[in-house]
Amino acid sequence: MKHSRIIITLLFLFAIALARRAQADDAVVELRFENRRFIPQTITVPANQPFKIKITNSSKEAIEFESFKLNREKVVGPGESVIVVLPALRPGSYDFYDDFHQDVPEGTITAK
Amino acid sequence: MKINKQHVAAILAVAGLTMVGLSRGIRHEDPPIRDDAAAPPKIAAILIRSCYDCHSNETRWPWYGYVAPFSWWMEREVELGRKQLNFSEWGSYYQSTKIRKLQWIDRTLSQENMPPWSYRILHPQAALNQTDLVPLLQWIESELASQRSQQNTNASKEHSK
Repeated sequence: MKHSRIIITLLFLFAIALARRAQADDAVVELRFENRRFIPQTITVPANQPFKIKITNSSKEAIEFESFKLNREKVVGPGESVIVVLPALRPGSYDFYDDFHQDVPEGTITAK
Repeated sequence: MKINKQHVAAILAVAGLTMVGLSRGIRHEDPPIRDDAAAPPKIAAILIRSCYDCHSNETRWPWYGYVAPFSWWMEREVELGRKQLNFSEWGSYYQSTKIRKLQWIDRTLSQENMPPWSYRILHPQAALNQTDLVPLLQWIESELASQRSQQNTNASKEHSK
């Protein structure tokens, strides 16, 4: 009984480690915010594969990376970097924008 | 060392004095109302009751909003709330911004994520029940339709130039 509990716990921990490893292996796309615009403005990612976006805010104001279609919103302070994890996307276009500054041009993530 | 009632009283007194000291001079500056959202009175009343403390320039700062460290946290939350959605500046939003914000409001209300629980604990009257949600969501739908229709009209005008 005691051994089976230990084995179950170990299996559970192994599964978590595997899941974390799989997540760590996701492709990371770099996105920078500078001079009131996202660089690059268009990101192309492989469809049906999870990925991460590393957003670096090189401006002196806080921004909020936001996408309604992707259901993501993340505040990035000045000089900070954050990572947004995204699931596998179906082929298509997904817009994103800075919710704090409406004059910032929209960016697009194209999954294909 | 054994902690007795006198120790606890001394700790509380020091904590209280520190809070009083930190709270001196706390003031909240509410920017002027630039262009308030035009909603029917019934909807406006719900928005004022449940949303305006964080999402407008008409925040009703409670007494503990002037007591550190709560005041710091509240100040930060209100600042963030206003940046994300400010009904006092609604009229100055671009049409595309209004559409995005209406979509987010619709989603957060439908998922019952707003008002946040941390706010509802101290403001139970802000909780939204079905009597509030149904007309609110209907208003959002009609606003969205109206904004989209205006956007299409503007796009057609631009196209025909």
